[in-house]
Amino acid sequence: MKLNDTFTASEDVVSREVGGEMVLLDLASGTYFGLDPVGGRIWELLSNGPHSLSQVCDTIEAEFEAPRDQIEADILALFSDMGDQNLIVATPD
Amino acid sequence: MTDLVVGSARDQSPLTDNPYDRWIAPEGDEKALFYRTQTGFLVRFPDEVDFEIEGVGDRVTAWPVPEAKPDLAENLFNNAISPILGNHRGGLFLHGSAVEIGGNAIAFLGMSRSGKTTLAASFAKAGHPCLTEDVIELVERDGTYWLQPKPKVLRLFRDSADFLLGEQPHWEDEDEKQRVDVADALPFSDEARPLTRLFILANNEPDEVLLPHLGAQSALTELMPHSFILDVEDKARLSAHFSRLAQLAQRIPSHSLDYRREYAELPRVISAIVHSQTGTAPTHETE
Repeated sequence: MKLNDTFTASEDVVSREVGGEMVLLDLASGTYFGLDPVGGRIWELLSNGPHSLSQVCDTIEAEFEAPRDQIEADILALFSDMGDQNLIVATPD
Repeated sequence: MTDLVVGSARDQSPLTDNPYDRWIAPEGDEKALFYRTQTGFLVRFPDEVDFEIEGVGDRVTAWPVPEAKPDLAENLFNNAISPILGNHRGGLFLHGSAVEIGGNAIAFLGMSRSGKTTLAASFAKAGHPCLTEDVIELVERDGTYWLQPKPKVLRLFRDSADFLLGEQPHWEDEDEKQRVDVADALPFSDEARPLTRLFILANNEPDEVLLPHLGAQSALTELMPHSFILDVEDKARLSAHFSRLAQLAQRIPSHSLDYRREYAELPRVISAIVHSQTGTAPTHETE
């Protein structure tokens, strides 16, 4: 996975914000996932359309206080997890 | 509202299609199998009853097996088919029991054999009327969830019935629950009550009664498995149901509830919950 790879939220996943945190339900598998506020913001971006990892990092860097290299490492790990769980799908560049 | 038509007894013929969903009991047995038909659905309770559902539940026909007890079809309809059709039509039904405390309803959600019926009946024995023992029906009106009262019957194991009602003279099967009419023995509420708190039963059985608050995110993920869902492949309806549960999780405080499943422990559970509900200190928690 590279920073210019582009992803969007899977159409099989519905999400609701409750208590300031995001809960995802994968309708295909019936599995639930919880996201913290940063993860919830990332999910919001992907739900609105395709975003590259780099674009997501830009938004998170602008909205949350954290070093860029830490943001990139965390987002790469999160996207890898979400890809493994079929929560996100890769889109053409 | 769906009317039930009970057909004549017949054996369950093998079905060629694979079920699209199954309900599995905690011990691993298949409790219900869900199939599609040309006109709707067939829900099979193995060796018990087939339910043919036309459309979205406009008409339901039950076909009990020849060995089925006379009221089995009606019981399964009330405790399983009616709630799944209610959710399918946009209602809010959950698997659980409920009692009334001070004019408000509190609900206990749990899987089969988690102790929710005995818990609700114990509250009733302590003077807090039971609202329902197995199916929670919520009607939302002006931001309040009204928990609907259900018939004054309990489905109990022999030992629970002995504890709650005194020694029972006759029991059909010592290993199975039996439907007990408790209208004269325990108080039941006849009116819908506003739901003020949800307790989700855990089964780690700690030494002390534990009832930690659950955040809305945790509550939502705990609520969905306690729903009655007819069609797990109907994404539009699943999504809508998820939204209704999310709203419930936002509005109603939820707790996990765990305690030793011993009859002697139930007074402590009742005391802890009543005092958490009324905002006073429990009197039995540390005894």
